[in-house]
Amino acid sequence: MAWLSRQFSTRVIVLIPIAIAINIVLGYTVQTILKLPIYLDSIGTILVGVLAGPIAGALTGILSNLIWQYAPVIGGGTIGPFAITAGVIGFLAGIWGQLGVYRSRPASGTQLMAFAGIAAVIVVALVVPILGNPAYTNPDIGGYPDWVYTAAVVIAIAAAIAVAAFIYIRRDLAGFWVAIAGVVTGVVAAVISAPISAIAFGGVTGSGTDLLVAAMRQGGSDVLQASLGQGLFSDPIDKTITSFVVFIVLGGLSGRLLARFPLGERLVRNRAA
Amino acid sequence: MPGSRWASASSGTVRPDEPADPSVADQGRAAGRLPAYVLRIPAGPYRALNPYTKFVIALSSALVAFGVRGWTGPLSVLALTAVIAVAAGVARSLRRFVLGTVPIVASILVVNAFLYPGATDVLFTIGPFAATGTGVTVALQATLRVVAFALSVAVFSLTTATDDFLADLEHRGTGRRLTFVVGSAIRTIPAMGSRAVEIVEAQRARGLDTEGSIRRRLRGIVPLAGPMVFGSLAEVEERTIALEARAFSAPVRRTVMRVLPDGSGQRAVRWLVGLGSIGAVAASIAGRFPLP
Repeated sequence: MAWLSRQFSTRVIVLIPIAIAINIVLGYTVQTILKLPIYLDSIGTILVGVLAGPIAGALTGILSNLIWQYAPVIGGGTIGPFAITAGVIGFLAGIWGQLGVYRSRPASGTQLMAFAGIAAVIVVALVVPILGNPAYTNPDIGGYPDWVYTAAVVIAIAAAIAVAAFIYIRRDLAGFWVAIAGVVTGVVAAVISAPISAIAFGGVTGSGTDLLVAAMRQGGSDVLQASLGQGLFSDPIDKTITSFVVFIVLGGLSGRLLARFPLGERLVRNRAA
Repeated sequence: MPGSRWASASSGTVRPDEPADPSVADQGRAAGRLPAYVLRIPAGPYRALNPYTKFVIALSSALVAFGVRGWTGPLSVLALTAVIAVAAGVARSLRRFVLGTVPIVASILVVNAFLYPGATDVLFTIGPFAATGTGVTVALQATLRVVAFALSVAVFSLTTATDDFLADLEHRGTGRRLTFVVGSAIRTIPAMGSRAVEIVEAQRARGLDTEGSIRRRLRGIVPLAGPMVFGSLAEVEERTIALEARAFSAPVRRTVMRVLPDGSGQRAVRWLVGLGSIGAVAASIAGRFPLP
């Protein structure tokens, strides 16, 4: 119980509504102003998870989607049923927070180069099993359009380069863990979202990624496989970007402010001031 | 006399283990002391129901719309929602919510009608794509489910003031922290929205690219997210101090002054609707639901 009540200090109770508003407003802004085909609606959730813990993170995610569905003026979408996914994302973020994934880890020389290299290899290695998913490769289904495969490979290579560059330029090994946390969160989110999308919405989400669902169905996947294939493509990208945005934002906050949150000390351990 | 005032106010408090029904005497006593706006009860058909009853109806509708397969589930929810909307006089406002479902509905219709896996009963073809009967059926059912769900939530939202709903939940024993989180989030969203507009304009003035290539637009994420998160985290400190100064973490329950009427009839409706929807979904999953 102490573990639970520690996650809900008054400071966290104040942070959660703000995080919910960040999720909703930033998700909406990025989709409409920058017109990017990613959701980016879990920055607040991951922030709370990392600063406060798994249960606080899960609560933030669930409430975000429920309030987005319900709230007067902005509500009325179809995001509500994905509250389950958002809750799991927040829970995972809490685990990353307890493990200190988002803590800065300054490094230099060979160690830095090695981690940058390993990170690049791991990003590619994580993409390969996704491509090996039955949604893509089952011979009974008969394959799927080549451009999906090509796009996935291109994005994987670009991501590997970006992650390695991030680690090298910032001289910070944390980029390695941040990327892995993002990809793992994304894969889990995809696996949970697919059945929700299939049962509630006939397998689509009403955004640009539905093009991918259509492509996979054209290739012969069934409803669930097509949704899963789309999720395994979009979510790891989305959550990895989100993960890095959270890391950059946390890096810009003062240690004094961070340390007041329940898991704050795990974030500031290596900081000079 | 301050002493008697506090005594009578606290006697109106309902603890979670007591029945949620406020007695008429309590309300009468409170009515003499509280300003009229605190006690004004929402009037009119459906609106006058207790928020909790409306909440249970919305939740059950969502459950039936998604859980009962085939035509009956979504259509019955849609019919019920339409009747309630007309009775409560919010039918016009629902148009906006119907428009909100257009993107996903369009996607559902196109993807399922033309690309439903394994369907062979072709209705007509456009280029390489063939619309199938099975696909069209599935698409229409999914569309009805989505619209029924969105509208049942919209009717709840349009007929229930957020503060009333939260006050009623707290009156029933929901923790103050949860009601604060929900209420504060709903109030923060418009403020955050106007802050987002300011940030976008400020960053555009500094050369934020919202029209360029995808790489250039990706670079815009941190300039948008950064100020929004930094700015709002700065508020956390002030609000925390303000709440602590007002005994937010005190171990006692807060007295809810605004008690909305509830009755045994409404309680019966809640149980009936709640259990009925669960039963219908269970029957549908077990394959024993009698209607198509």
